[in-house]
Amino acid sequence: MLKHNLLLFLRNIKKHKSSFLINLIGLSSALACVLLVYLWVSDELNKDKFHEHEERLYQVLRHVPDGQGSLATYSSNSSLMLTALQTEVPEVEMATAVFEFDTGAMVKTDDKKMTAIGNMASEDYFKLFSYPLLHGSKHTVLKDINAVVISKEMAHNFFGQGDPMGKTLTIKHGEEGVDGVFTVTGVFDIPVNSSKKFDFVLSYKKFLQRRNTNNIHWGSNSSRVYALLNPGVNIDYLNSKMADFIKNKNEFNLATVFFTRYTDNYLKGNFENGKQTGGRINYVILFSLVAIFVLAIACINFMNLSTARASRRLKEVGVKKAVGANRKVLIFQFLTESIVLSFFSLFCASVFVTLILSWFNGVTGKDLVFTIDNNMTMALIAITLLTGLASGSYPALYLTKFDAAKVLKGKIKTSFSELLVRKGLVIFQFSISIFLIVAVSVIYMQLDFIQSKNLGYNKDNVMIFERQDELVDHMEIFLEEAKQIPGVVNASYMQGGMTSFNNSSSNHRWPGQTEEGKKLTFRHAHVGPEFIETMGIEMKEGRSYSNEKPNNESKIILNETAVKLMGLENPIGTRIDMRGPNREIIGVVKDFNIQSLYDEITPMALLCRTEWVGTLVVKIKSGEEKATISALTNLHNKFNPGLAFNFRFLDEQYQQLYESEQRVAVLSKYFAGLAILISCLGLFGLAAFTAERRKKEISIRKVLGQSIGQVTVMLSSEFVKLVLISILIALPIAYLLANNWLGQFAYRIPIKAWYFISAGLLALFVAVFTVGSQAIRAANKNPVNALRDE
Amino acid sequence: MLLQLNNIFKWVNSGGQRIFLLKDINLNIEEGEFISIMGPSGSGKSTLLNVIGMLDGFDEGEYQFLEESVHTLKEKDRAKLYKEYIGFVFQSYHLLDELTVKENLEMPLLYKKFKGSERKAMVADMLDRFNIVGKKDLFPAQLSGGQQQLVGVARALISGPKLILADEPTGNLNSKQGEEIMDMFKQLNDEGVTIIQVTHSERNAEYGSRIINLLDGRMI
Repeated sequence: MLKHNLLLFLRNIKKHKSSFLINLIGLSSALACVLLVYLWVSDELNKDKFHEHEERLYQVLRHVPDGQGSLATYSSNSSLMLTALQTEVPEVEMATAVFEFDTGAMVKTDDKKMTAIGNMASEDYFKLFSYPLLHGSKHTVLKDINAVVISKEMAHNFFGQGDPMGKTLTIKHGEEGVDGVFTVTGVFDIPVNSSKKFDFVLSYKKFLQRRNTNNIHWGSNSSRVYALLNPGVNIDYLNSKMADFIKNKNEFNLATVFFTRYTDNYLKGNFENGKQTGGRINYVILFSLVAIFVLAIACINFMNLSTARASRRLKEVGVKKAVGANRKVLIFQFLTESIVLSFFSLFCASVFVTLILSWFNGVTGKDLVFTIDNNMTMALIAITLLTGLASGSYPALYLTKFDAAKVLKGKIKTSFSELLVRKGLVIFQFSISIFLIVAVSVIYMQLDFIQSKNLGYNKDNVMIFERQDELVDHMEIFLEEAKQIPGVVNASYMQGGMTSFNNSSSNHRWPGQTEEGKKLTFRHAHVGPEFIETMGIEMKEGRSYSNEKPNNESKIILNETAVKLMGLENPIGTRIDMRGPNREIIGVVKDFNIQSLYDEITPMALLCRTEWVGTLVVKIKSGEEKATISALTNLHNKFNPGLAFNFRFLDEQYQQLYESEQRVAVLSKYFAGLAILISCLGLFGLAAFTAERRKKEISIRKVLGQSIGQVTVMLSSEFVKLVLISILIALPIAYLLANNWLGQFAYRIPIKAWYFISAGLLALFVAVFTVGSQAIRAANKNPVNALRDE
Repeated sequence: MLLQLNNIFKWVNSGGQRIFLLKDINLNIEEGEFISIMGPSGSGKSTLLNVIGMLDGFDEGEYQFLEESVHTLKEKDRAKLYKEYIGFVFQSYHLLDELTVKENLEMPLLYKKFKGSERKAMVADMLDRFNIVGKKDLFPAQLSGGQQQLVGVARALISGPKLILADEPTGNLNSKQGEEIMDMFKQLNDEGVTIIQVTHSERNAEYGSRIINLLDGRMI
């Protein structure tokens, strides 16, 4: 019987190639899409899960009132938190503090050097986190103040196959003032699914040694603190108990302490006014939904085409019933067909995925590998079976329900409910497609808006690079010489990157301070003289830092928002205590955006300082980039021979803030394209069958004098109506969701009617085009042929 | 007694009116009979045939088939009954276009749990008996109408039914082909198979041993 059914199946395919191809292409591309999303989602969900005690691993965060009525969330903590957790909180089994370098450090041996990203971590770091140690013991690697634990890659780079243990490395980091010789005490490996990537870890003792003990207090937050909780600790209870932990230590500090799962850091790292608002998990959910929708669209095609061409299979059902097949056997037959087709599609999809995986990796910025392991096989089989069952069930039930006598007499009429189901399914498909089109255009418009928005500084033609090696000591000379290069407009330096001025402080004093003012938190950044000019930031009043004026280091420059919130009427000349006592305000700059445009502008202070600043910025003339860059490269090589000149442009760095949005935009573009393609394939098939079903009607109409044009319009309008209904359904939903998504940006595009109108028109146009071609073909047929059939 | 119909009524409701398709049909059929049902279009011939073949139900009356009360049987048992004892021949043959002659013949056996070797033997037997061995690998579209109907009869016969129901078996054939099919029926009837046919043709009706005339759903 199986052989028989298989033959029937194959011969049916041969006879009706177009509907088979529509189904195959639709299901294969949908399954390919599901496969890719599955790979992506499982990669995302697996991030950081390799840590042995992952379910007990927590991060300590702080909520701080931002002085403007809402709470800001910080992941940084005072190093005092570490000892406090270890000694005062019995629920904490182990804790560690980590200071992460913002920028690369210079690592050297006598004959080799490289830039590397590093941490300074306290002793229990490798006990809390399960980065596998290839050399060294997790209990002792970070014990010594001059210890360094390096990555496998770094060990290989410096020591080849040799034993790295006990060898020394010179590590220099201008911004953090690290400069010394360190002894390798261990080698670690970073699993691919780690969200953090770093090359070396120094002892936290080094960090503490370098900070003046006076500078270590509850208001100076520069480390991240992680804790391993005891088994069975109730986290809600612990959080309520810990809330006032810092306030109890320091009454002026308004921070609320709380713990979140370490693995949430990656997927649910966003906070808004003290509430967790998701993060990457939103994209995980979004893409899972999109994949399911695309698959649903393809399944709907299968259902619609199978039931629409029912007339062709009904005879088979009738005959088989007449010779004694019962309904169960027939349902089984049809389900087998759809399942076989799904598995065949899965095969095509796998081939397709293998071919485009490297492209997909490029788009998503991942290193996904398509390997068939047990989990994968199970998931694939489950998805494919489900697809087969979902797409085959309705046709199977529908086709086999008729009485043999009626079928064989040709008395089956397309019932109203069947048409309703088919139309409903088409509406569903098109609603999703239209929604996706709107989503893609809104995301693109918003990203475009962000790119072109006036940020308050000029990010074009600004080169940034790290202050390394000889530049640590000779930065001023380098800058002087750089300014002599004809193509260089100006040059200065800053702390970290422009887009990551994340340091903040509170508890400042100034004359006339209100109670509200006491609660203000300021971002602060260390910058060099002429930084403001180099970046094209506008001064509102006063002056900027300049090499000509003395004592820059005891002055302060604020932004407009800060002055406004502090309530200063004549800010220039006012003296305030902030990151040092009695600073004189010498200037006020107009507000500029440093963060991504998700955030409002916050009060900010620019401080002038040469130590602890690690990034050089050089503004160059446009049109002479090539010559200027090569001159700068020569200059850099004069200072740092043998070290590659790794520079970037500020606008690239800015783009990185929106990396995930960019990726989402690109991905959703493809998904939307796929959805509408599959929907149209289905519509195409359906239109073809409708034309065939109404062959006789068309012929009679033509014989009675209807023109080809009229017939075409009549045939197309049936589908156009469906698309119009889809538009009515999809647009309000799209509007709500677009509004919601844009709501998270502080600066956003206004929603305009034409996004929606054009999405609707696009869908309509594609549908008319698809259906119209079929309708014209049907209308052009010679009516005699169709009528003779009867 | 092969089957017995007592006071069979069948109707449909249309616009508040009850339209009778079959009205008070009483019929006894013995094994070995060859019966022709005649009547004008719409008189209920095919409906009666379908009721006898259990492909269609009825609204009132009793139906005994081989001592079983069909009207009280469950759908499943009824299917079992007609599967075993009844073969159908259709006016438009209703062969499956995607299957070859051989495969079309084999199909009914698939639903009756015969072993592969048995099926092969039975198909070969049938091909032989109907002289169509040479055509076994052809598709229906490659055969003439008469040959297709021959395959249709062979298919009806393959599982050894007691009763063959033929709905205008020669309706789509020319007179020579029609004659061949009727001769085949006669021969089968002589071998003991009971045959009920619906026909418009007086000539074909004469092959039978009894003629039942219908008009507006009534036997006359």
